[in-house]
Amino acid sequence: MSIITSRAKLLGTVFSLALAFSAPAVHAETPPNVLVVAQSIDDAVSFDPAEGFELTTVQSFNNIYQRLVQSNRDDGTKIEAALAASWEAGSDGKSLTFALADAKFSSGNPVRPEDVIFSLTRAVKLNKSPAFILNELGWKAGNVDAAITKVDDKHVKLTWTADVGSGFALSILTAPIASVVDEQTVSPQAKDNDFGNGWLKTNSAGSGAYTIATYTPHEALVLQANVNSSDKPALESVIIRNVPDVGARRLLVEQGDADIARGLSADQIEALKDKSGIKVLSVPSARQDYILLNSKANPTLGNPAFWEAARYLVDYDGITKNLLRGQSSVHQAFLPNGFPGALSDTPFKLDVEKAKKILADAGIKTPFKIEFIVFNDQPFLSIAQSLQSTFAQAGITLDIQPGVASDIYARGRAGKFEMTLRYWIPDYFDAHSNASAFAINKDNSANTVAKQAGWVIPELTDETLAAVKEQDAAKRAGLYQDLQKKIQASSPFVFMLQGNDQVVLSDKVKNYAQGLNADQVYYDKVAK
Amino acid sequence: MTNSRQRSSWRELSFVWPLSKWLWSFALTLFGLALVTFAMTRLSPIDPALQLVGDHASQSTYEQARLELGLDQPLPVQFFRYVETALSGNFGQSISTGQPVAKDIARTFPATIELATAAIILGAVIGLALGITAAMRQGTWVDGLARFVSLFGYSVPIFWLGLLLLLLFYAWLHWAPGPGRADVVFQYTVKSVTGFALIDTWISGKAGAFRDALAHLALPAIVLAFHALAAISRLTRAAILTELGQEYVTTARAKGANLRRIVFVHILPNISGTLLTVIALSYASLLEGAVLTETVFAWPGIGRYLTTAMFAGDMPAILGATLVVGASFVLLNALTDLGVARLDTGRKR
Repeated sequence: MSIITSRAKLLGTVFSLALAFSAPAVHAETPPNVLVVAQSIDDAVSFDPAEGFELTTVQSFNNIYQRLVQSNRDDGTKIEAALAASWEAGSDGKSLTFALADAKFSSGNPVRPEDVIFSLTRAVKLNKSPAFILNELGWKAGNVDAAITKVDDKHVKLTWTADVGSGFALSILTAPIASVVDEQTVSPQAKDNDFGNGWLKTNSAGSGAYTIATYTPHEALVLQANVNSSDKPALESVIIRNVPDVGARRLLVEQGDADIARGLSADQIEALKDKSGIKVLSVPSARQDYILLNSKANPTLGNPAFWEAARYLVDYDGITKNLLRGQSSVHQAFLPNGFPGALSDTPFKLDVEKAKKILADAGIKTPFKIEFIVFNDQPFLSIAQSLQSTFAQAGITLDIQPGVASDIYARGRAGKFEMTLRYWIPDYFDAHSNASAFAINKDNSANTVAKQAGWVIPELTDETLAAVKEQDAAKRAGLYQDLQKKIQASSPFVFMLQGNDQVVLSDKVKNYAQGLNADQVYYDKVAK
Repeated sequence: MTNSRQRSSWRELSFVWPLSKWLWSFALTLFGLALVTFAMTRLSPIDPALQLVGDHASQSTYEQARLELGLDQPLPVQFFRYVETALSGNFGQSISTGQPVAKDIARTFPATIELATAAIILGAVIGLALGITAAMRQGTWVDGLARFVSLFGYSVPIFWLGLLLLLLFYAWLHWAPGPGRADVVFQYTVKSVTGFALIDTWISGKAGAFRDALAHLALPAIVLAFHALAAISRLTRAAILTELGQEYVTTARAKGANLRRIVFVHILPNISGTLLTVIALSYASLLEGAVLTETVFAWPGIGRYLTTAMFAGDMPAILGATLVVGASFVLLNALTDLGVARLDTGRKR
């Protein structure tokens, strides 16, 4: 008897201790001057704009740094002034002169031509992941110093060797890698010729609305208002918390312990839709999901008839309505809606009989089997299963092999695959970002998606290069439409979906803005 | 005089020899661990350079990353270079966080130790109590309950249990705070000195912050404790039941000792070594980091650190974290052996 009593006492003490301490902690709402965002930040590698190329870091750059010019928030095709007050294209079509606006970095230092030169040249010389964007202008470590020059204390001139127009050059300058960093703050932090890269990985030196207060990997990114910025934020700080589990993320935003939650699944969005106190913001994104076929893997996969049949073996409606429910829409061309010249028609739908006929007419014998490598993650696996069932109806067995991203990329580069499911997000707001991936492969020399498909296309390559040169915007859009039609009709790519980002916000959050491209996440105007 | 000095130096030596033997085997274990981890990571299909730069990067960026990561070197060279860095104490720089691995570990390991320690204290106390009661009342409803709890603790997925508790105590009852180590109000106002939230908030002198840290610790600790107590209570019960059949117990019974006296005075001291080993093993497995619990509760511990590093093919981080966890495992084992030996000699006396 006495033992039971003591056991009960013991258990009682333990539980009441635990509960007593937790009871008073009934949720505080988030502080009024702080925005709390729950998402995964596990992908973050570097907050240096010359290096960061992961979703988390890319989404932070518009809030920490400014560029000479920027994409309009609502219509990304429009380029507007940022650190540059105005600009003028050179008569040769290969230069731009920018007049700098009066702006200050978070250190209080003024933004000078020297900072622009330092930022762009270091980004080229460091040669990190996004450097290829600046390489599009022909800038390499050896020539970039001569390409960017100071005119006077307020003017800086950019010249380039690549055969592209100034409109395209401006688009390139809207990419996060063109962010301007404070040379006087960064240079003293440089070690072993790293141009301050080691320091900027976790610190900031920009003129944007916020500065990095602290960054703890896998834990949180804390942004603090930049008092010197011309773009003064409404809130004092933004805390981006790493909440790796989506279930926990949903609970946090539901309970008011987070103001914004990202990356929730379709199921969770469904459950949250009608809850009071929160709203679901649906923003079209430029992300596209497509099937990549390796035309060199075997004669069947290299047969254009098979490419055509594959277009009729995708259950577009089923995937968007039943699997992704609002997180994607059907899209069948290589430019996403929202980009100038994007083709929005959807000529293909699931039609197994038609696919069978195309295969039979071409003499492709069924059944046969295709090795299908897929990212070991959602929604890729669900989409792959849907494809497996529809391809099976035409006698094609898809052997799904889940794998890690870097392995699937490596096999793509080495041409060691048959079929895979990929997604594409433009690297900068210009049609060339996508066209150069899907419609350039003259001789297998550059690492484009077309090259990974083993698809050699000298004529399309020439057309793509002509399009990027074109200075007339309307004509240029027409050229891209033409390219898209050709690739839509026949190519080893099956474009299926365009993404739709669903962000869950507390009702209190006002003026949150997000655009089409991955970097277009803006916290500066957010108020509560 | 000379004699006694000689004797004392002999005594010192007799202590030094086993210690150096132990240190040697400790070093060998760690070396083996590093070798196996290195081999396994390099045999995995992950290409760390491609993982780092992504698929859009140019070939020249990719080649540069391979060079910077030393991936162009033959494997033995890569391994010995790593060992060299590890020996210098900083474990190199993590590819995925861009920070020195030593700094990452100094941040994540205390979070795990804090959680594991809270969980093992809860788990051991409740597990022992449950095991002892069950053994003493074998076949009754108490025993049934204990067995059910231990079976449940074994079989229920810890991930699911964590989410369920969050739903119940955080979302519905509002008794517990949400996932994370501290409320946002305190997270960035309390300075991290030791990396242990309880200690840091305590020395900060802010009572609210300490209470908040304790409250955040409660749910994940209970989840892990539940898992630990399942093993502890089951083994305690089994050990006592085995002892109850021994001759010395029959003798004690014949002398008129009651069950309570037999268990507490005769049996428990006899099985204390076994129990200590079981508890220490549970603690060691918790120190490896409970990845799933850390994920559900957004707990920035070493388990998640190691897992994300593995998916990134982040060799310095994987090796550093494995070595630290491995070293604490070996140390804990040695301490347990010492403890068991002491308990044994204590009992014999």
